[in-house]
Order: sequence, then structure tokens, then C-alpha cells
Amino acid sequence: MDWTQQTSADRVIGRPVGRVDETTWERFAEHLIDVVRAAAAAGVPLVVDLAGLDYMSSRGLRALTMAKREAGETVAITLAAPNARMREILAISRYDKLFAVTDDVG
Amino acid sequence: MLVRFWGTRGSLPVAQHATAIQAKIVRALVAADGRKFADEAAARAFAETNLDFATYGAFGGGTSCVEIEGADDAFFVCDMGSGLREFGLDAFRRCAAGHARTYHVFMSHLHWDHIMGFPFFGPAFDPGATIVIHSGHSDAEAALRRQQEEISFPVPFDWLRAKIAFVTHDQDQPFTVAGVTVTLIRQAHSHESFGYRFERDGKVVIYSTDSEHKLENMDAEAAFEAFFADADLVICDTMYSLGDSVSLKQDWGHSSNIVAVDLCRAGGAKRLALFHHEPTYSDEDIARMHAETVRYEELVREDRPPLEVICAYDGLEVAI
Repeated sequence: MDWTQQTSADRVIGRPVGRVDETTWERFAEHLIDVVRAAAAAGVPLVVDLAGLDYMSSRGLRALTMAKREAGETVAITLAAPNARMREILAISRYDKLFAVTDDVG
Repeated sequence: MLVRFWGTRGSLPVAQHATAIQAKIVRALVAADGRKFADEAAARAFAETNLDFATYGAFGGGTSCVEIEGADDAFFVCDMGSGLREFGLDAFRRCAAGHARTYHVFMSHLHWDHIMGFPFFGPAFDPGATIVIHSGHSDAEAALRRQQEEISFPVPFDWLRAKIAFVTHDQDQPFTVAGVTVTLIRQAHSHESFGYRFERDGKVVIYSTDSEHKLENMDAEAAFEAFFADADLVICDTMYSLGDSVSLKQDWGHSSNIVAVDLCRAGGAKRLALFHHEPTYSDEDIARMHAETVRYEELVREDRPPLEVICAYDGLEVAI
């Protein structure tokens, strides 16, 4: 799993690439917490661009919950551009009820 | 070994209302589409082939009770939920045919839905029966005695006629009972719970219910992956969706279907049985959860061997 992020005036975008599973979830979680803090410091929302992500297992999803708790009421988190597999995983896990999910990064 | 499910529901026994049965009949009639059947056998053959389980069957409403056949001259039972009553009746039948009247019971924990079958367990009244209750909890006897005190039940524990013994076990110290090697693992649940690994002749069955895999403790899951290693069957608490288990139902002591899949995959288990079904779920809800779990396993399988995902129901038998 690779990670890049981009900060602009109105948002921070985090871009995981590859897969998040039992071997990569800790790095993913660390990046998420860092990017939430960056968004909080900048006072802007966070977009997690999932376009480059093959899939995420339960540990990756739970890392998203950890990020949401870190964000609290301060940072709004949107999951953007999931592929078909990720969209199914978000639905099966009911994470599409916990997070805003959009078709593209916008 | 043979695993037989006598109770698969979580928290509270469930009885179907007439409306649920009526809905099944209506769906079956629609599926029959005007066919005529020569006799009940022909109708049964049509139903078995053409109707889904939620229509032709039912997942049942007994609380946790699972029998594992394959020990030497003894019954093995995990938990004493309301499903235990029917197990007891069936055990009488088998004892009449010559089965030994020895029962080894393995308790995940002592919450009401896991002990409520014991006051109705016929073999406890059999003076020729021996019942050994294995637990990770030292207060198992107190829990069983308390639920038969007069304010709750008319028959006190001391009136039971079977020879009843309680054995407390430590985690990670395997022991052998009637030819089966048994290991416990401590699980996150109110007042703690314990999972069991049963091994015999290279076959492994895991019983892991009422076990929450907490968000803030994911590092600990390696221990469960090792506990599930190479299991032929993992019976796992899958009461909630992951989303529910990390939000509204966090700290309720239960796990999700997709965490169960991930633990089984990482441990190299061959088959997962979804278990401890949410009592508010209809048969259609449980069937949907099963289908979604099968799909999730496909989505994350990659190049690993498939994990077979089955959905436990009262009456299901699984040959190991």
C-alpha cells in the first residue's frame, strides 16, 4: 500500500494505492491519522480518494473508524471514487452508512 | 467428528409469528406457479429444488448450544442455551440405544442466554448420568445454582440427580477429555468469555462466540488467527455488521461477519459457520447476511484457497 496526499485551500486529499489488509493496515492507519490532523490544522475537510485502492479488508475499514474518531466534529471525511469491489465492501460492511461516499473526487 | 447445532440464536430465544410462516407459504405458492403435485413427496422434491432456505426452512430460535460428536464414550456440548433442551431429549434417545451417559459441557461464558437451557436439561435429572461442566470461569457453579433459586425457578439445583462436576481451566493450557484435545482462549466480552479449540485425529473445530474484536485492540487479533489456524470448521460470533459493531453496538461484546472472514482467512481455516444470530433478524435478514458474507469472501480472496462460509441453523449437521 502506497500513500500520497495533497493539501489545497479547501481540502486535504489522501490517496492510498494498492490494498489494505492484515499486512498493510497499520501503515494505512498511521497515514490516516496524520492526514486527519493535517486537515484539522488547516481547518478543511478530508477526502480519501479510493480510486487507486484495489480493496480494503476489515482492518482497513476499522482504521477508517479510528480516523473518524480522531476527526470528531472537526474534520468531515468523505470516501471518494471507490472501485466496484470497494463499493461492494462498503455496502456489505454498512460503512456506506457511517461515511459519506461519492462517485468521484470532485 | 460431526458438529450438530441445537441453538444458533444470540441473546434471546426467538419464536416465529404466524405472519412469518404465512409469508413463507405465500412465497412457496407463488413459486409453484399453479403446479399440481401427485403427493407430498413430489411437493417436497419441488420445494427442496426450487425454494431458498428462508422460504422452505428457518434458521431457528434456540440460543447457543452446539454438540460435537466424536469423543470417546461421551457427549460434547458447547454452551447450554435454550437449544440444550432438545439436545437433552435426543440424548435420552441415544442413551436408550446404548450411548454412555456422560456429558462434557464447555461454557463460553455464563450469561443468561448461554445457561438458560440447563434447568430444562433432562439428563440432569438422570441419576445414572455424569455431567462435567468445563469453563474458564471459576464462578460457573454459582451461575447455575443461582438461576435455579426459588425466586427464578421451582426446582433447586440440589434436587438434580446426575453427578455434576465443575472444572475450571486456564487459557493456553491444553487438556484432553475423552480423547479430544481442548484449548481455551480468553475473549473480549462482559465478564469475559472463552473460545474453544477441539482437536482429534488431525481434525480441528473452533467454537468462538460472544467475542468482540475491538477496534483499539487489532494487534491482539494475531492470537485469534493462530487459534483458528488450519481449522476445519470455525463457529464464530457474527451477530452484527462491522458498521454496527464499531458504532451503535460497540462494547456490546460481539463481532461481525467480515471480521470473522478475515480471521479465518489469516488463520488458514477451511470453513466458517456464521453463528449467534441477532434475535431481531428475520430468516430473510439472516439469509441476506449469509449471502453478503459469501460475497465478501470472494471479494477479498485473492490467490488464497477459498473459505467456505456456511450459516448455522438449529438442526444443521456438519461432518468434519
